[in-house]
Amino acid sequence: MKQRPMLTLEDCKKISAAAEAEARRNNWNVCIAILDDGGHLLHLARMDGATPANARIATEKGRTAAETRRSTANWQERVAKRTELLRMPGVTPVQGGLPIVVDGTCVGGVGISGVQSHEDEQIAAAGIKALG
Amino acid sequence: MKRIAVTVALAACALSAAAQQPPAGQNPRDVVPDKMPFDVPYGAPVSLDRAQAAINAAVAESKKRGWKMNVAVVDSGANLVAFARMDGAQLGSIAIAEHKARAAAKFRRETKLFESGIQEGNLHYLLTLDDVIASRGGILIIDNGQIAGAVGCSGGTGSQDEVVCKAAIEAVTKR
Repeated sequence: MKQRPMLTLEDCKKISAAAEAEARRNNWNVCIAILDDGGHLLHLARMDGATPANARIATEKGRTAAETRRSTANWQERVAKRTELLRMPGVTPVQGGLPIVVDGTCVGGVGISGVQSHEDEQIAAAGIKALG
Repeated sequence: MKRIAVTVALAACALSAAAQQPPAGQNPRDVVPDKMPFDVPYGAPVSLDRAQAAINAAVAESKKRGWKMNVAVVDSGANLVAFARMDGAQLGSIAIAEHKARAAAKFRRETKLFESGIQEGNLHYLLTLDDVIASRGGILIIDNGQIAGAVGCSGGTGSQDEVVCKAAIEAVTKR
Protein backbone atom coordinates (compact mmCIF):
# COMPACT_ATOMS: atom_id res chain seq x y z
CA MET A 1 0.00 0.00 0.00
CA LYS A 2 1.25 3.47 -0.83
CA GLN A 3 1.90 5.71 2.18
CA ARG A 4 1.61 9.47 2.06
CA PRO A 5 2.64 12.24 4.44
CA MET A 6 -0.11 14.26 6.10
CA LEU A 7 -0.15 17.65 7.85
CA THR A 8 -0.87 17.54 11.58
CA LEU A 9 -2.36 20.37 13.66
CA GLU A 10 1.13 20.91 15.14
CA ASP A 11 2.55 21.35 11.62
CA CYS A 12 -0.19 23.87 10.87
CA LYS A 13 0.55 25.83 14.02
CA LYS A 14 4.24 26.01 13.03
CA ILE A 15 3.41 27.22 9.53
CA SER A 16 0.86 29.74 10.77
CA ALA A 17 3.14 31.12 13.52
CA ALA A 18 6.06 31.57 11.12
CA ALA A 19 3.84 33.25 8.54
CA GLU A 20 2.38 35.54 11.20
CA ALA A 21 5.89 36.44 12.41
CA GLU A 22 6.92 37.34 8.86
CA ALA A 23 3.83 39.55 8.50
CA ARG A 24 4.38 41.20 11.87
CA ARG A 25 8.04 41.88 11.03
CA ASN A 26 6.80 43.94 8.09
CA ASN A 27 3.86 45.52 9.92
CA TRP A 28 1.37 43.71 7.71
CA ASN A 29 -2.07 42.49 8.77
CA VAL A 30 -3.05 39.43 6.82
CA CYS A 31 -5.08 36.25 6.97
CA ILE A 32 -3.26 32.90 6.87
CA ALA A 33 -5.15 29.82 5.69
CA ILE A 34 -3.82 26.26 5.56
CA LEU A 35 -5.65 23.50 3.70
CA ASP A 36 -5.03 19.79 3.26
CA ASP A 37 -4.37 18.03 -0.06
CA GLY A 38 -8.12 17.63 -0.56
CA GLY A 39 -8.63 21.38 -0.32
CA HIS A 40 -10.26 21.18 3.12
CA LEU A 41 -9.51 23.85 5.71
CA LEU A 42 -7.08 22.79 8.45
CA HIS A 43 -6.11 26.04 10.12
CA LEU A 44 -6.94 29.73 9.77
CA ALA A 45 -5.72 32.85 11.51
CA ARG A 46 -6.93 36.35 10.65
CA MET A 47 -4.66 38.94 12.23
CA ASP A 48 -6.24 41.97 13.93
CA GLY A 49 -6.92 44.54 11.24
CA ALA A 50 -7.23 42.04 8.38
CA THR A 51 -10.66 42.10 6.74
CA PRO A 52 -13.38 39.46 6.40
CA ALA A 53 -12.60 39.40 2.68
CA ASN A 54 -8.99 38.50 3.49
CA ALA A 55 -10.21 35.33 5.24
CA ARG A 56 -12.24 34.26 2.22
CA ILE A 57 -9.54 35.11 -0.31
CA ALA A 58 -6.71 33.48 1.67
CA THR A 59 -8.75 30.28 1.92
CA GLU A 60 -9.47 30.26 -1.82
CA LYS A 61 -5.83 30.91 -2.75
CA GLY A 62 -4.72 28.09 -0.45
CA ARG A 63 -7.38 25.78 -1.86
CA THR A 64 -6.28 26.50 -5.42
CA ALA A 65 -2.65 25.75 -4.57
CA ALA A 66 -3.54 22.57 -2.64
CA GLU A 67 -5.92 21.13 -5.21
CA THR A 68 -3.94 21.99 -8.33
CA ARG A 69 -0.50 21.31 -6.78
CA ARG A 70 0.89 24.56 -8.11
CA SER A 71 1.26 28.15 -6.95
CA THR A 72 -1.49 30.66 -7.61
CA ALA A 73 1.25 32.88 -9.12
CA ASN A 74 1.68 30.19 -11.76
CA TRP A 75 -2.05 30.37 -12.44
CA GLN A 76 -1.85 34.15 -12.62
CA GLU A 77 0.91 33.98 -15.25
CA ARG A 78 -0.94 31.41 -17.31
CA VAL A 79 -4.22 33.31 -17.13
CA ALA A 80 -2.43 36.41 -18.42
CA LYS A 81 -1.52 34.48 -21.57
CA ARG A 82 -4.64 32.36 -21.85
CA THR A 83 -7.71 34.26 -20.67
CA GLU A 84 -9.91 31.18 -21.12
CA LEU A 85 -8.24 29.71 -18.01
CA LEU A 86 -10.35 32.14 -15.97
CA ARG A 87 -13.18 29.66 -16.52
CA MET A 88 -11.31 26.90 -14.70
CA PRO A 89 -13.66 25.84 -11.88
CA GLY A 90 -12.50 26.55 -8.34
CA VAL A 91 -9.35 28.38 -9.34
CA THR A 92 -8.32 31.71 -7.78
CA PRO A 93 -5.50 32.85 -10.07
CA VAL A 94 -3.95 35.50 -7.83
CA GLN A 95 -0.45 35.26 -6.35
CA GLY A 96 -0.29 34.46 -2.62
CA GLY A 97 -1.08 30.74 -2.57
CA LEU A 98 1.62 28.06 -2.45
CA PRO A 99 1.42 24.27 -2.40
CA ILE A 100 3.12 22.52 0.54
CA VAL A 101 5.34 19.84 -0.94
CA VAL A 102 6.96 17.20 1.27
CA ASP A 103 9.21 14.54 -0.28
CA GLY A 104 7.76 15.30 -3.70
CA THR A 105 4.16 14.96 -2.50
CA CYS A 106 1.74 17.86 -2.18
CA VAL A 107 0.27 17.65 1.33
CA GLY A 108 -1.74 20.86 1.17
CA GLY A 109 -1.57 24.56 0.50
CA VAL A 110 -1.08 27.91 2.21
CA GLY A 111 -3.02 30.99 1.17
CA ILE A 112 -2.32 34.54 2.31
CA SER A 113 -4.36 37.68 1.72
CA GLY A 114 -3.96 41.19 3.10
CA VAL A 115 -1.09 42.95 1.37
CA GLN A 116 0.30 43.08 -2.18
CA SER A 117 0.19 39.73 -3.95
CA HIS A 118 3.97 39.23 -4.06
CA GLU A 119 4.12 40.10 -0.36
CA ASP A 120 1.34 37.60 0.37
CA GLU A 121 3.46 34.95 -1.35
CA GLN A 122 6.54 35.99 0.65
CA ILE A 123 4.56 35.33 3.85
CA ALA A 124 3.31 31.97 2.57
CA ALA A 125 6.87 30.92 1.72
CA ALA A 126 8.11 31.94 5.18
CA GLY A 127 5.37 29.81 6.71
CA ILE A 128 6.18 26.71 4.67
CA LYS A 129 9.90 27.14 5.37
CA ALA A 130 9.19 26.61 9.08
CA LEU A 131 8.19 23.02 8.33
CA GLY A 132 11.89 22.32 7.77
CA MET B 1 -21.05 38.76 37.57
CA LYS B 2 -22.01 40.67 34.49
CA ARG B 3 -21.77 37.50 32.48
CA ILE B 4 -24.11 35.71 34.81
CA ALA B 5 -26.58 38.56 34.56
CA VAL B 6 -26.58 38.29 30.79
CA THR B 7 -27.07 34.54 30.91
CA VAL B 8 -30.04 34.98 33.19
CA ALA B 9 -31.43 37.68 30.92
CA LEU B 10 -31.13 35.38 27.92
CA ALA B 11 -32.89 32.59 29.75
CA ALA B 12 -35.62 35.01 30.81
CA CYS B 13 -36.12 36.12 27.20
CA ALA B 14 -36.32 32.54 26.05
CA LEU B 15 -39.02 31.88 28.57
CA SER B 16 -40.86 35.18 28.13
CA ALA B 17 -43.26 33.75 25.59
CA ALA B 18 -44.07 30.93 27.96
CA ALA B 19 -44.50 33.35 30.87
CA GLN B 20 -47.15 35.32 29.04
CA GLN B 21 -49.56 32.45 28.67
CA PRO B 22 -52.10 33.03 25.92
CA PRO B 23 -55.74 32.19 26.61
CA ALA B 24 -56.63 28.58 25.89
CA GLY B 25 -56.96 27.91 22.20
CA GLN B 26 -54.86 30.91 21.17
CA ASN B 27 -51.65 30.44 19.17
CA PRO B 28 -48.75 31.05 21.61
CA ARG B 29 -46.81 32.74 18.80
CA ASP B 30 -49.50 35.44 18.64
CA VAL B 31 -48.31 36.79 22.01
CA VAL B 32 -46.51 40.14 21.60
CA PRO B 33 -43.78 40.54 24.27
CA ASP B 34 -42.95 44.07 25.44
CA LYS B 35 -39.20 43.66 25.20
CA MET B 36 -36.84 42.71 22.38
CA PRO B 37 -35.55 39.18 22.83
CA PHE B 38 -31.79 38.55 23.01
CA ASP B 39 -31.08 42.28 22.99
CA VAL B 40 -27.31 41.99 23.49
CA PRO B 41 -25.35 44.75 21.74
CA TYR B 42 -22.62 43.94 19.23
CA GLY B 43 -19.28 45.14 20.65
CA ALA B 44 -15.63 45.30 19.63
CA PRO B 45 -14.37 42.23 17.74
CA VAL B 46 -12.40 39.52 19.52
CA SER B 47 -8.63 39.69 18.88
CA LEU B 48 -6.71 36.91 17.11
CA ASP B 49 -4.78 36.20 20.32
CA ARG B 50 -7.96 35.55 22.26
CA ALA B 51 -9.50 33.59 19.41
CA GLN B 52 -6.44 31.33 19.37
CA ALA B 53 -6.54 31.01 23.16
CA ALA B 54 -10.14 29.80 22.81
CA ILE B 55 -9.11 27.27 20.19
CA ASN B 56 -6.17 26.05 22.27
CA ALA B 57 -8.48 25.50 25.25
CA ALA B 58 -10.96 23.59 23.08
CA VAL B 59 -8.19 21.43 21.61
CA ALA B 60 -6.76 20.73 25.08
CA GLU B 61 -10.19 19.67 26.39
CA SER B 62 -10.74 17.43 23.36
CA LYS B 63 -7.30 15.84 23.70
CA LYS B 64 -7.93 15.15 27.38
CA ARG B 65 -11.03 13.19 26.41
CA GLY B 66 -9.57 11.58 23.29
CA TRP B 67 -11.94 13.49 20.97
CA LYS B 68 -11.25 15.00 17.53
CA MET B 69 -12.85 18.37 16.91
CA ASN B 70 -13.11 21.23 14.49
CA VAL B 71 -13.13 24.60 16.27
CA ALA B 72 -14.03 27.96 14.74
CA VAL B 73 -14.05 31.46 16.19
CA VAL B 74 -15.89 34.36 14.56
CA ASP B 75 -15.82 38.04 15.53
CA SER B 76 -18.76 40.28 16.42
CA GLY B 77 -19.46 40.66 12.69
CA ALA B 78 -19.86 36.86 12.44
CA ASN B 79 -16.77 36.65 10.22
CA LEU B 80 -14.16 33.92 10.68
CA VAL B 81 -11.13 34.93 12.78
CA ALA B 82 -9.50 31.59 13.58
CA PHE B 83 -10.03 27.93 12.86
CA ALA B 84 -8.34 24.63 13.68
CA ARG B 85 -9.03 21.04 12.69
CA MET B 86 -7.57 18.43 15.01
CA ASP B 87 -5.79 15.41 13.53
CA GLY B 88 -8.37 12.95 12.28
CA ALA B 89 -11.42 15.20 12.86
CA GLN B 90 -14.21 14.67 10.34
CA LEU B 91 -14.34 16.86 7.24
CA GLY B 92 -18.07 17.50 7.43
CA SER B 93 -17.57 19.38 10.66
CA ILE B 94 -15.35 22.09 9.15
CA ALA B 95 -18.39 23.91 7.79
CA ILE B 96 -20.56 22.99 10.78
CA ALA B 97 -18.11 24.44 13.33
CA GLU B 98 -18.00 27.74 11.46
CA HIS B 99 -21.76 27.70 10.95
CA LYS B 100 -22.42 27.23 14.67
CA ALA B 101 -20.14 30.14 15.58
CA ARG B 102 -21.63 32.34 12.86
CA ALA B 103 -25.22 31.52 13.83
CA ALA B 104 -24.54 32.24 17.51
CA ALA B 105 -23.16 35.69 16.57
CA LYS B 106 -25.83 36.47 13.98
CA PHE B 107 -28.73 35.55 16.26
CA ARG B 108 -27.07 36.67 19.52
CA ARG B 109 -27.79 33.38 21.27
CA GLU B 110 -26.48 29.88 21.80
CA THR B 111 -27.25 27.49 18.95
CA LYS B 112 -28.59 25.12 21.60
CA LEU B 113 -31.68 27.33 21.82
CA PHE B 114 -32.50 26.52 18.20
CA GLU B 115 -32.04 22.84 18.89
CA SER B 116 -34.31 22.85 21.94
CA GLY B 117 -36.78 25.21 20.25
CA ILE B 118 -37.27 22.72 17.44
CA GLN B 119 -37.00 19.51 19.45
CA GLU B 120 -38.77 20.35 22.70
CA GLY B 121 -40.63 23.53 21.75
CA ASN B 122 -41.99 22.22 18.44
CA LEU B 123 -41.02 25.56 16.87
CA HIS B 124 -40.44 24.04 13.44
CA TYR B 125 -40.55 27.44 11.75
CA LEU B 126 -37.06 28.08 13.20
CA LEU B 127 -35.72 25.80 10.46
CA THR B 128 -36.94 28.24 7.81
CA LEU B 129 -34.95 31.20 9.17
CA ASP B 130 -31.83 32.17 7.24
CA ASP B 131 -28.53 30.58 8.30
CA VAL B 132 -29.90 28.84 11.40
CA ILE B 133 -28.16 25.71 12.65
CA ALA B 134 -30.17 23.78 15.19
CA SER B 135 -27.38 21.98 17.01
CA ARG B 136 -25.66 22.82 20.29
CA GLY B 137 -21.97 23.80 20.33
CA GLY B 138 -22.14 27.43 19.22
CA ILE B 139 -21.70 29.91 22.10
CA LEU B 140 -21.15 33.69 22.31
CA ILE B 141 -18.03 35.38 23.69
CA ILE B 142 -19.41 38.25 25.79
CA ASP B 143 -17.28 41.18 27.00
CA ASN B 144 -18.94 43.50 29.52
CA GLY B 145 -22.39 42.62 28.28
CA GLN B 146 -21.47 43.04 24.60
CA ILE B 147 -20.88 40.46 21.90
CA ALA B 148 -17.18 40.12 20.98
CA GLY B 149 -17.57 36.97 18.93
CA ALA B 150 -18.55 33.33 19.14
CA VAL B 151 -17.04 29.87 19.24
CA GLY B 152 -18.36 26.90 17.27
CA CYS B 153 -17.32 23.28 17.79
CA SER B 154 -18.18 20.22 15.75
CA GLY B 155 -16.90 16.70 15.33
CA GLY B 156 -18.65 14.59 17.93
CA THR B 157 -22.19 14.38 19.30
CA GLY B 158 -23.84 17.71 20.02
CA SER B 159 -23.24 17.13 23.71
CA GLN B 160 -19.51 16.48 23.14
CA ASP B 161 -19.28 19.56 20.93
CA GLU B 162 -20.88 21.64 23.67
CA VAL B 163 -18.47 20.45 26.38
CA VAL B 164 -15.50 21.46 24.24
CA CYS B 165 -17.13 24.76 23.26
CA LYS B 166 -17.76 25.64 26.90
CA ALA B 167 -14.09 24.97 27.75
CA ALA B 168 -13.13 27.45 25.01
CA ILE B 169 -15.56 30.10 26.28
CA GLU B 170 -14.44 29.57 29.87
CA ALA B 171 -10.80 30.16 28.88
CA VAL B 172 -11.41 33.54 27.23
CA THR B 173 -14.18 35.05 29.35
CA LYS B 174 -12.94 38.20 31.10
CA ARG B 175 -13.75 38.46 34.80
